[in-house]
Amino acid sequence: MIRHALLVLAVTIGVPVHADPSQNPVEVLKELINSVDSAYLTQSDQNLMMMEDNPALWTVEEGKALFHAKRGPKNVSLETCDFGMGPGKLEGAYAAMPRYFKDTGKVMDLETRLVHCMTTIQGFPADDPAVKKLHGSDTDHMKLQSYIAAQSNGMPWNPPMDHPLEKAMRDAGEVIFYRRAGSLDMSCQTCHSVTGKRIRASVLPNVYVPQEWSKAISWPAFRVGHQETRSSQHRLRGCYWQMRKAGPVAGSPATIAVLSFWTDMARGQPAILPDMKR
Amino acid sequence: MMLNNMTRFATVLTLSLGAYTTSHAAEPGKPDYTKMSAEALAEHLVLESGSFDLDQPTQEGGTARERMIQDDLQKLCSQTRNKPNAEQAGQIVTAARASIQYPEGGISLGDWQKGGDLAWGGFGYRIGHNPDDHSQRDPSGNCYNCHALSPQRTGGDIGPSLTGYGIIRGDTEATRRFVYDMIYNPHAYFPCTHMPRMGAKGLLTQEAIADIMAYLLDPESPVNK
Ligand code: HEC
Ligand code: HEC
Repeated sequence: MIRHALLVLAVTIGVPVHADPSQNPVEVLKELINSVDSAYLTQSDQNLMMMEDNPALWTVEEGKALFHAKRGPKNVSLETCDFGMGPGKLEGAYAAMPRYFKDTGKVMDLETRLVHCMTTIQGFPADDPAVKKLHGSDTDHMKLQSYIAAQSNGMPWNPPMDHPLEKAMRDAGEVIFYRRAGSLDMSCQTCHSVTGKRIRASVLPNVYVPQEWSKAISWPAFRVGHQETRSSQHRLRGCYWQMRKAGPVAGSPATIAVLSFWTDMARGQPAILPDMKR
Repeated sequence: MMLNNMTRFATVLTLSLGAYTTSHAAEPGKPDYTKMSAEALAEHLVLESGSFDLDQPTQEGGTARERMIQDDLQKLCSQTRNKPNAEQAGQIVTAARASIQYPEGGISLGDWQKGGDLAWGGFGYRIGHNPDDHSQRDPSGNCYNCHALSPQRTGGDIGPSLTGYGIIRGDTEATRRFVYDMIYNPHAYFPCTHMPRMGAKGLLTQEAIADIMAYLLDPESPVNK
């Protein structure tokens, strides 16, 4: 309880300047809310209140310890892992992913990059639970992803489009976003292209409103309905499941293409990390 | 055990070798993504790159691969971002009309109570990590996801409100035919609509369609109270 209160306090008193990862994510969200009229952003007062005590803040703390710990067969930390800003440089790194990595010749999202570093730097076998278990607040993945992502809190989404492969993946992701298929003839556009529309009682984010989309893609986030911290890849899988389409394989090129497009669509808007969702 | 370790070793080896590839030059058998059109790359990524679990069995019998391959309508609507030109729209409407099969003995209304359960249900045809078992329950209509129906509950609003539908439209032959067509294949009236083709794709049985129609049109249904 006390630890909890202290953590919230520590987060709250962070200097409230823009693009400060120690800023309280709820303040980032409030700035977004003030910048645009959006039923999506304002749909849950309750969540706004609960965000002060977002359980995902714990996942972040646990991830911090894990990130700096010596682990794996090689008994080294992840401090030399390069997330695009140079080895161990985490500030703003996630807001600029997916991106092209020269060492693998691939465009990678945070999850795939972590897998890469855990297997190459720390020497974990690819089928080790630390590498393979992707879902749930208790997994190494959610802890590490939450910690790394939180170092981009309040920063504008800014995935680079310098390398031809980054552009190719983003553009293919756009086509996939609009690609209708499956039993229900759906594409992402069906549910995410108009402001204020609801599926059941949930107000949906509109991909064309960058302020809304910025919150939509702010993962990891604690999902109140699941009582777990969830990732971008988990959200994607959920929407594919709703559409009755084939299940996406985490870290696969098509998922990274979609994530490249979806991050590009939030360009310039501040990330809320970690976020809390219904 | 032995084998397991060897596979592990092989995996680690492949991964670390991967780390030394310094250019994005195409791996053998893998096309150069930067040389493809966005459409061709998307198609490749969806169907040829191992990005989806295409072998997943589906309730209609077959695999998820078939669901991911687009038919003509899906292709055209995706290409035009759901805004077909007049000529394309005409073709879509004609094909949709031709797809509609009517029940023998005309369109009749079923049981509005059953129809209510179906209209408010999201069960059916979900696959992947959490597949729906159709032997436990019949697939439902998903209508509530997109439509307001009875005023007692909150429905979605991707589509227009259907609250009071029977009162407003009246239970006439023309209304029945229109509602039946809409459920069967709504592209007959709204080319590239977001609404699924629940009859044409075999997602709902004739009986289920009749029950859902009763839920919309029967004066006793909560939709019309
Ligand atoms: C049938 C409707 C539907 C389709 C199609 C759909 N989604 Fe979603 N999506 C939802 C719903 C509903 C939520 C919110 C979940 C909730 O609030 O319970 C959501 C949430 C999201 C979110 C996070 C926003 C949030 O507040 O949780 C993102 C990002 C997203 N979807 C992206 C996509 C992408 C990308 C696709 C296509 C690959 C897609 N969606 C297809 C219904 C859909
Ligand atoms: C994914 C969204 C979606 C689902 C699911 C859906 N609809 Fe629709 N529906 C629409 C849209 C959108 C329209 C309006 C047509 C258009 O403009 O494209 C519509 C229109 C209609 C209309 C015509 C309304 C009028 O103005 O007279 C009826 C009737 C209807 N739907 C019934 C149903 C029924 C019954 C179900 C379930 C079995 C259903 N719909 C499921 C999206 C949906």
